[in-house]
Amino acid sequence: MQEELANRLVRSLKGAGVNFVTYLPETRLSQIVPLIRDDAEMTLIGAANEQEAVTIAAGATLGGKQAAVYMENTGIFVSSYSLLAVGKQLGVPLLLIIGYLGGVPDQRNSFLYATLGNRTIPVLEGLGIEHMVLVDGDRLEAKIKDAARAANALRSPFALLFAGEFSE
Amino acid sequence: MIRYECLELLAAKMTDQLVVTSQSGQRIEWSHLSRHEGNLLVGMMGCAIGVGTGLALALPHRKVIVLDSDGSVLLSLFNLATLGNLQPKNLVIYVFDNGVYSGSRISYPTATSGNTDLAAMAQGAGIKNAVTIRGIEDFKKTGLGALEQHQMAFVVCKVKESLLHREIPRPNTDLAENKYTFVRYLERTEGKTNSFIGRG
Repeated sequence: MQEELANRLVRSLKGAGVNFVTYLPETRLSQIVPLIRDDAEMTLIGAANEQEAVTIAAGATLGGKQAAVYMENTGIFVSSYSLLAVGKQLGVPLLLIIGYLGGVPDQRNSFLYATLGNRTIPVLEGLGIEHMVLVDGDRLEAKIKDAARAANALRSPFALLFAGEFSE
Repeated sequence: MIRYECLELLAAKMTDQLVVTSQSGQRIEWSHLSRHEGNLLVGMMGCAIGVGTGLALALPHRKVIVLDSDGSVLLSLFNLATLGNLQPKNLVIYVFDNGVYSGSRISYPTATSGNTDLAAMAQGAGIKNAVTIRGIEDFKKTGLGALEQHQMAFVVCKVKESLLHREIPRPNTDLAENKYTFVRYLERTEGKTNSFIGRG
């Protein structure tokens, strides 16, 4: 991902009101981590795995923060329990910022990721989590605001899957 | 020492703390002992410490208490490593360790009935104030004392299995209802509107 796109992504998250991010780093979007860490208006919390990242973000949301969880799409499989047990059962809005490895638009796709990438959207659908695939920076700010509004309106996690230019 | 007598002592100390419970026995017993609006009764195992950590980080001026069990902590051991580094000073975790999966109704032993020591694991993960309590007098002193400290505490309470929670009526508050009560309580006591509640 080009530096300018990483900057726009973080600015877009802030523009959507996100001020608390939990994460486990991955390869496609990792440039956003130091940008969030260095932003005095955002809190960045590293987690040991994505299940934990979801529960910490949910607690922060209940405490008044607008929280996002940054993860690789494999983290959806790891965190599906807490996405259901807390995100869906309690009805907690969360933005899921996901590096979409192994999906068709992933520019670094390989046999290592394709199986998991291929099942990511069906699993999100099975969990009842709406999603949007982003492949370039076109209307990025508006799309992230749309996703945050949808998460808040649905009282549910909402997944943003980043591939295409974000995976170069 | 049984869990219920510890919770009775804890309930008497409640003012404006926020309490997060995991399933199962501690959730039933706590909801029977405390009707406080700052109680968040999470419906599943393995999630309460994470939710409590998020609350503690979002509201560093509020004391956050997590009531958990050995089975639930074993399901989410990754929390220990994260807390070993974060150590929110306003977070107190009580783990009621009865050594069995009591909710299974067959009381199958957990790892802590064998060689596993949760407080030692927490210390190894970096949680400095991780202790094991084995009697009610120690709970009164060290367990309740953790509430007064400006330091994260991980308090493992070794309790005898009690089936009392099976005799107590289960909470009939819907999870969403509990969430809104909790969030409205926070809105009132924090003096600000929670951003995700929105407008109809």
